[in-house]
Amino acid sequence: MSADRNNDANNATSATKNNDAHERARQLIALAGTEELTGADNSSFDAKSSNAWLAEHLRTCASCRGFAENAGETIRGLRAIPIAAGRSLVSATQASVRRRALELQRQRERLWLVSVSCTAVTVCALLSTVALWRGFEWLGAQAGLAPMIWQIGFVVFCVTPALVAGVLLLLRGTHLADHSGSYQG
Amino acid sequence: MNATACYFENSMAQESTDIARGLRRRDPDLLDRLIEQYQHRLLRYLVYLTGRRELAEDLFQETWIRVLERGHQFNDKYTFSTWLFAVARNLAIDYMRRKQPASLDGLLNDGEAAFDVPATGQASAFDMSLRREQNEHIAAGMEHLPAEYREALVLRFQEGMSLEEIAGVTRVPLGTVKSRIYRGLSGLEPWLKGAPL
Repeated sequence: MSADRNNDANNATSATKNNDAHERARQLIALAGTEELTGADNSSFDAKSSNAWLAEHLRTCASCRGFAENAGETIRGLRAIPIAAGRSLVSATQASVRRRALELQRQRERLWLVSVSCTAVTVCALLSTVALWRGFEWLGAQAGLAPMIWQIGFVVFCVTPALVAGVLLLLRGTHLADHSGSYQG
Repeated sequence: MNATACYFENSMAQESTDIARGLRRRDPDLLDRLIEQYQHRLLRYLVYLTGRRELAEDLFQETWIRVLERGHQFNDKYTFSTWLFAVARNLAIDYMRRKQPASLDGLLNDGEAAFDVPATGQASAFDMSLRREQNEHIAAGMEHLPAEYREALVLRFQEGMSLEEIAGVTRVPLGTVKSRIYRGLSGLEPWLKGAPL
């Protein structure tokens, strides 16, 4: 009874080992494709021993040999299926890529223009601030005003345009604006 | 042999560097040349990935527009084809997400006609018919494979990519790539033996 159980266990272990061997062989075949085991690790000991092991296994296992033949056929079949891009597709793609390239170039040019304008405005603002400061100082002295008064006047003069623009922009999104966004006053 | 390999490696690295430089400049002539060079490979990959020729052609165009726009992201340490296929793959996934939030599986089984297998080269009428029949079987089998397996098979056996390159394109571990190739080939076996079309 015990001997029978031992035999069963041995048979099961042997079957599992066999299945593992087939699985390993098929994986090696699938990865190698129609060539020998290739890849960066071809020269490594592992790849060489795997090759040798696979060759040995294929000599004795008809089922895996069949799998190898089928895999080879499948891979050859895969390579033989021709799917080609049509001339019109290629031309249309090239045209749309060129069009998009032109758009991007124009965008870049616009961005460059905006950057240059911003820089010019900043420089002009700095220069005019200095000139205006001197002007307000001179006016204050002429009118005999306290420095605090003409300095407040200078700040109001500089800030007012920005405040007005800000308020107008805010009004565009309120009940004062119609659906087209224009100010209704 | 080593000198030859070294020569090819250097020339490929130089080519990648030239492409990266041209893409940063958005050189339209370079892009024209690349479109010509990779037209069949990219379309074939997209046809197998999506299973639909029309969609593949749309994605083909979008891929090159994306290459133009994101060309500065190409790292010349890698081959251009690996990056190109990754871009195309991302577009295909984006398309599927827009259509229905799903994985790459969504590219399958749309109930639409899939691979169109045109007649192959010149051989005897019998050989041609036999080969065509076999190709039809394989193409039909591909149609029934999950997109991930199909993609792995195309990249490995049609594009001749290394396992590492495939892992780079698909962004999965090497073990997963190996398993997909194995399962894909195993899945095609019954079709080669003549499973019903």
